[in-house]
Amino acid sequence: MTQKILIVDDEPHIRRLMEQTLEPLEDEGAEILVATNGKEALELIQKETPELVFLDVMMPQMNGFDVCNLVKHELKIEGIYIILLTAKGQEFDKTRGKEVGADMYMTKPFDPDEIVEKSMEILGLA
Amino acid sequence: MAPINLRRLLQRKDVSSAIQQLLKVAEYPLSIRDLQNEVMFGVDRLDLLYKHPIEVNGESVGWVMGIQGAEAIATLVSHLITQELEKRLLAQETLDRYKEITLLYNLSERMGAKLDLPAVADLLLDEAHKFIQGSSGAMVLLNPATGVYESIATFGETEIVPLQIQAGVGVIGSILLSGIGEIINDIAADSRCIAQEACFSSLICAPLKSQEEVLGLIYIASQSAINYTAADLKLFNALASQASYAIENALLHKNKLKEERIKSNLERYVPSQVVQAILDSQGDVSLAPTRKDITILFSDIRNFTTQCEELSPEEIVRYLNEYFTQMVEVIFSHQGTVNKFVGDMIVALFGAPSPLVDSEKRAIETAIEMQKRLRTLPTQWIRDNFNTGIGISSGRVVVGNIGSPRHMDYTAIGDEVNTASRLQSIAKGGQILITRSIYEKTKADFQFQSCGSIKVKGKKYEVEVFEVVY
Repeated sequence: MTQKILIVDDEPHIRRLMEQTLEPLEDEGAEILVATNGKEALELIQKETPELVFLDVMMPQMNGFDVCNLVKHELKIEGIYIILLTAKGQEFDKTRGKEVGADMYMTKPFDPDEIVEKSMEILGLA
Repeated sequence: MAPINLRRLLQRKDVSSAIQQLLKVAEYPLSIRDLQNEVMFGVDRLDLLYKHPIEVNGESVGWVMGIQGAEAIATLVSHLITQELEKRLLAQETLDRYKEITLLYNLSERMGAKLDLPAVADLLLDEAHKFIQGSSGAMVLLNPATGVYESIATFGETEIVPLQIQAGVGVIGSILLSGIGEIINDIAADSRCIAQEACFSSLICAPLKSQEEVLGLIYIASQSAINYTAADLKLFNALASQASYAIENALLHKNKLKEERIKSNLERYVPSQVVQAILDSQGDVSLAPTRKDITILFSDIRNFTTQCEELSPEEIVRYLNEYFTQMVEVIFSHQGTVNKFVGDMIVALFGAPSPLVDSEKRAIETAIEMQKRLRTLPTQWIRDNFNTGIGISSGRVVVGNIGSPRHMDYTAIGDEVNTASRLQSIAKGGQILITRSIYEKTKADFQFQSCGSIKVKGKKYEVEVFEVVY
């Protein structure tokens, strides 16, 4: 079955950049999905059940913490690895991250190599 | 450029939904196939007779099958794909820049933590090589001891990397001289090329510069032809300038350690303030023999040999060390310098190597404190048996490094040195004897008692002597 990676960010060029960054995983057969807000992300997660989600924390309406909390604690979806993306310089609430059940967090500007490496590792690709 | 992947380009949600809508409103059956003739959109029917190529940059990437007029659809799809492709190229371009920024950002952080040169060099080459292709590369740095530019880190086929580079010789040597980074994509055609460099085809090279000078350079070279670009050079230059900071830092750190070492050694001979003054001065503290106005203090233990007769040599050394330690501390605390120990005698200078205001007054203060300190030393035996006589004189003498090139002493030579020595020799235990020159300068500060005149070897006239009353 095709493995799926979901990118959730309200900023269009960050989404573009993430998509481009994850191209090597597409080459390995993974499918890249994109959501522009928390609501859309929740729908896609339930419908497509991606293995890996890059979830922006700062989004209008439903933020990354809320999405993560819903997925992990309310919907209790299993087999989903959630990486929270936070902007550098912004104080990241690590405790909150843990509380909502995030698997890890990364800061933006992200390191493209690190993103690819981590994704490969999580999806068990070469 | 990588081959165009039609499937991937058409996979995007916005693109695929646009095409699906298009097919829905078309009055005739259509199919969109990739180069392998697999249907991606539309219907798989054998009666679609016309095959219209979908072209991107003059290259067919797939087909639209349908009626003759379906050519317009092919044009539209081509347009969509071209747009999507351009977006991707832009995104890739941005991503590349993004990676460069990340590289520079991480590098400065990681290099900041490294204080030794080889580690900085290895890290830099390693990171640079991730972005800039090449079969070998090196960081070349000026060895200040030899004045030669040497490779301190290399990668790749290092046996062809020259270990030493002469400024001005060869392409790399010329860049050392000019201090301006360059890309050379055909080395053999470059008039500066020397035999050593001819095994390479392309070279990218950036200088490592401090504010004043070219410290060295980094280069990556390739044996097969590579077209290095201006963008590569820009990145390489940025890396080099970051490395320069790290290298300067590492060099400063190295010098600082050396300075500390010298300082701690020097501080055994001269007070730490004097050491600091020498280190801080812009090089005008000369140790070469010069005439200077200084005050000289001689101190000696009365009847030392007799006193020590009953002691073992080890005990004598132990007592002497305790005595010297305390006395030197007193001398240093008054900015004096210890010139030498001769047996149990101490010779101290005030005003050399660095000039000292009120050197006469400081010498007397030192002498008084030495006498008092001696009476409070921890070892009872020393308190009971050591009595010192002190002589002080001042005047113009020659001070500096004197001796043979293989062994130098920083010492003072002159009549006044002899006078101080003579006064010390006639001083009884606890006495501080001084000359008139000292008396004249300090009579307002201390109490004195005249002791008449004495004859000193090498002096025509007798010397007038005063005793400090304390």
